Amino acid sequence: MPTSQATVDGVFRALADPTRRSVLQRLCASPASVSELAAPFDMALPSFVQHMRVLERCGLVRSSKRGRVRTFTVEPKRLKQAEDWLAVQRRLWEQRLNQLDTYLLQLHAQRQSDASEH
Amino acid sequence: MNASATPPSLWTPNPELDLVLERDIDVPRGLVWDVWTTPKHLEKWFCPKPWYTTDIVMDLRPGGEFSSVMHGPGGEVMPNKGCCLEVVHQERLVFTDTLLAGFRPSPKPFFTAVVTLQSLGEGRTRYIAMARHGEASTRKQHEEMGFHHGWGAALDQLVALAKTL
Repeated sequence: MPTSQATVDGVFRALADPTRRSVLQRLCASPASVSELAAPFDMALPSFVQHMRVLERCGLVRSSKRGRVRTFTVEPKRLKQAEDWLAVQRRLWEQRLNQLDTYLLQLHAQRQSDASEH
Repeated sequence: MNASATPPSLWTPNPELDLVLERDIDVPRGLVWDVWTTPKHLEKWFCPKPWYTTDIVMDLRPGGEFSSVMHGPGGEVMPNKGCCLEVVHQERLVFTDTLLAGFRPSPKPFFTAVVTLQSLGEGRTRYIAMARHGEASTRKQHEEMGFHHGWGAALDQLVALAKTL
């Protein structure tokens, strides 16, 4: 079943933040607790927890709580889905056509103003 | 519509292999056609930035060469060779890299693109771009070009966008 565009967009949005990218890289090595993940960052814990929520919401990581410790694990399947080749091709075409539209509008406006000068 | 044109039933997209993108734009159909079919225009938009194209050859007739060279920000050079399959003036352009100029089979097939233009009146145009991919060829090409290009470009854009927020 092809991955929904919303799913892929959610993953890209999550990856758009350097803290979250860094955390994801760390989790690819092994699962870790929130405090362990937060340690390298000069950030208040509630702000960091927000980042973890974004990662969890888009399905890139999952968490479980034992006692007071919440442990995060990466979900490689979701990352693979975002890498899905067709989604990547779609992005390529979207960008290509965005560039086409911009160029067309510029060219058209230019030609119209050239025409009105005569 | 051209009576001898390929019937629409052959174009039913497969969601697992094909992409269909449709746009309306406030630009006359003739201009959209020109920008799709003229090398000096194509090189301004066809390649997703920061990549760029050079050496565009477009021989607008069935079997005519359609090729370009794409250049990446890291100095990557990627030649694309293919041919035009169908050219209906200001209406439809079909091109592929599964065949080279003169319909010679390509060693590295990846896609066929179908572009159709419709006039919406009042200087507006609807264009539809469909990219069709084959079963076995997708993974290989994906790894060689599409994946690194698309993924890299998308991620870079995300980084650039994130920096502005």
